[in-house]
Amino acid sequence: MNLAKLWVPAAAVIAAPVFGGLIAGIDRKISARLQGRYGPPILQPFYDLYKLFGKDPLAVNRWQPFFAAMYLFGAAASVAWLALGGDLLVLFFLTTFTVGFLVLGASCVPSPFSRAGAGRELLQALVYEPVLILVFAAIFQQTGRWDAAGVWRQGGVLLAQTPLLYLCLFLVLVIKLRKSPFDFSASPHAHQELVRGVLTEYSGPFLAMVELGHWYETALLLMICALFWSSVPGSAILVAATVAGLIFVDNLFPRLTWRWMMARIWLPLPGLALLNLIWLMV
Amino acid sequence: MGMMKHLMVRSRRRSLWMMHFCLGGCNGCSIEIMAALTPMYDLERFGILNTGNPKHTDVLLVGGSVNHRNRRTLKNLIDQIPAPRLIVAVGTCALTGGIFNEAYNIIGGANRVVDVDVYVPGCPPKPEAVIDGILSGLDKFEQ
Amino acid sequence: MTVSVIPVGPQHPVFLEPFQLKLVVEDEVVSEALPRFGYVHRGLEALVVSKDFRQMTRVAERICGICSAIHGMTYCRAIEKLLGITPPPRAQMLRLVWSELHRMHSHLLWLGLFAEAMGFESLFMQIFRIRETVMDILEQTTGNRVIISVNVIGGVRRDLDAEGADGIRRALKKVAGDLERIRPVLVDDYSVRKRTEEKGILAKERAYELGAVGPVLRASGISQDIRRTGYGAYGELDFEPVVESGGDCQARCKVRYRELFQSMDLIRSGLDRLSDGEIQTKSKEKPEGEILVRSEQPRGEVVYYIRADGSKHLQRLRIRTPTFANMAALMDLLPGLDLADVPLVTLSLDPCIACTER
Ligand code: SF4
Repeated sequence: MNLAKLWVPAAAVIAAPVFGGLIAGIDRKISARLQGRYGPPILQPFYDLYKLFGKDPLAVNRWQPFFAAMYLFGAAASVAWLALGGDLLVLFFLTTFTVGFLVLGASCVPSPFSRAGAGRELLQALVYEPVLILVFAAIFQQTGRWDAAGVWRQGGVLLAQTPLLYLCLFLVLVIKLRKSPFDFSASPHAHQELVRGVLTEYSGPFLAMVELGHWYETALLLMICALFWSSVPGSAILVAATVAGLIFVDNLFPRLTWRWMMARIWLPLPGLALLNLIWLMV
Repeated sequence: MGMMKHLMVRSRRRSLWMMHFCLGGCNGCSIEIMAALTPMYDLERFGILNTGNPKHTDVLLVGGSVNHRNRRTLKNLIDQIPAPRLIVAVGTCALTGGIFNEAYNIIGGANRVVDVDVYVPGCPPKPEAVIDGILSGLDKFEQ
Repeated sequence: MTVSVIPVGPQHPVFLEPFQLKLVVEDEVVSEALPRFGYVHRGLEALVVSKDFRQMTRVAERICGICSAIHGMTYCRAIEKLLGITPPPRAQMLRLVWSELHRMHSHLLWLGLFAEAMGFESLFMQIFRIRETVMDILEQTTGNRVIISVNVIGGVRRDLDAEGADGIRRALKKVAGDLERIRPVLVDDYSVRKRTEEKGILAKERAYELGAVGPVLRASGISQDIRRTGYGAYGELDFEPVVESGGDCQARCKVRYRELFQSMDLIRSGLDRLSDGEIQTKSKEKPEGEILVRSEQPRGEVVYYIRADGSKHLQRLRIRTPTFANMAALMDLLPGLDLADVPLVTLSLDPCIACTER
């Protein structure tokens, strides 16, 4: 029985990067089409990843590969935990750790780009972590469960009661997936003043590990989104709509600066989420 | 094992991240490289991305001739690119120093500093020629 | 408070060309900026000793690929003055048409890069798409896309037939339509305005003191345009310099955007007034004497100084390019900026390093 239970997370750990990679591929294709280009094949991210694994490992120091691996591990563990139907609060801590490793990895090298990128990464964590915890709180408020399995089984369209929260979650996704509007975004086309922020100093296989971890994170966040409409077709629609929204936001707006993000999102976003929560309570 | 290798060659051919570095030229070549990225020519359909970061680069496009100052920069850049890598010299300047060959500050073409794999002639070469140059260098990844 | 030094360049994705800005940064705010040059220096002014004055036209064109037609034209004008010849009116007008086309390609390139510096890739792609139309005209009428090499001493090398002129008119119509369509994004969009308004303000007096030129100066509210001195065929046409008063990135963007339309007007009326006749005045003389000529480039005023002693080779060639004049303004703007705005503000001056270092 225990073994049977392990099947689900194992499958999730394997399927999540495939899913994340596909999303990245579709994103790139649609973006290209929106920009009037033909665009790369949908499988492009997989080619990129595989190629990166085959490049010469050029680590800046001993710690860098370790942190990259830990980041990947943390991201994969979060996905497995959620698939297991684990506690959402534990998940919250897992994600925080994951980001921590990314930041550590970026700040253990001497490059100023990478360090400044790490600083911004921390700041952005400050922005979205409160929202994430409020989202989990709202889920608990609605369903009375902290564990993902319970929430899922309870079913129902959480979205109906929590539209504002979902909006916040969407903005978190925009930040988290390094889309826009923020200038430390690391989408393949963005050429920012920090080159590629936290990713600047990674190369070859280590970059591939970070990239893979990133796909896990994508999958994870979309899985959290799916909890808002707990039925198979419902969550599929929700996730698809969310991804489409992300791509459009990315293409319709320039990336704004992190100062703008701090000023405009840091307070309002949790505020909005809180508002939704209060509304739920009364 | 054979299949893994086959897949690796395939991925390398399909996923080239490029970076361009303009040396002592007139910019004409950089402009045409830029143009090759945009809708009319769209390098991304071959999986070629402009990264601008040497550590993520597979293909380095060099435009312009080498002078006494940028020689070191070019060398540094190349050292940061993990193998396997492809170096393409774009434009007459990068081939031989071109029209500026006799100028006092010019050392010559890019091959004075690095091993160039593909030479794309023209002043400036058209974007089509740039694309063709990159793609014809792909066979290097077969080994 | 953490102080760190961030070297932007020599190789950096937002700059096309290698030059280095050492930024001293305190908490992501720039406190000091130090530029380093020399990565593109070729020493081409000294080439006059080994290339004769006719060959130098080709070198002048390759000072910078973005404004090569205007460099070539300015050089030819200088030599023509020394030789005491004037090109036929048709050649003058054709030079105007090609220079303005080049200005358009340069401004469109800049708009695209500007969009990219904001992280707005889709706009970048759309602008470059528009630019390709201009490149196509250049290729159709001159045979090359970037370095069009139409200027020779005494006139132009290629003629334009009625079909070619019609082609230009048709293409311009298309470009104008496309440009109109991106206006709402470039000028009114909230997030674009957030990124560009009040960023890197260059006050009117300051711009004048620092000797800024071209669109940078005009965006600070000073109406100055060397084309108004009426060199070449510009004297026959009537136009006003495009002036904006903001002095920020947004104003500089608007100036260039509106200049695109101005260039189109100039090309259209130039084509309408195209007279028949020769396209080149031949001369067997050698240049002798000293001369200084000025032209308006996409980036501002360029000054050529030439000294010749009546032999095949010039004695001295000296060029003051617009970016060189604008560098002082850039160094004035950078301190106090957010690190995130540095690429945008730097780009807003449209630095052309190949010009500056020659
Ligand atoms: S080859 Fe020609 S176009 Fe290219 S950089 Fe040299 S002079 Fe300019």
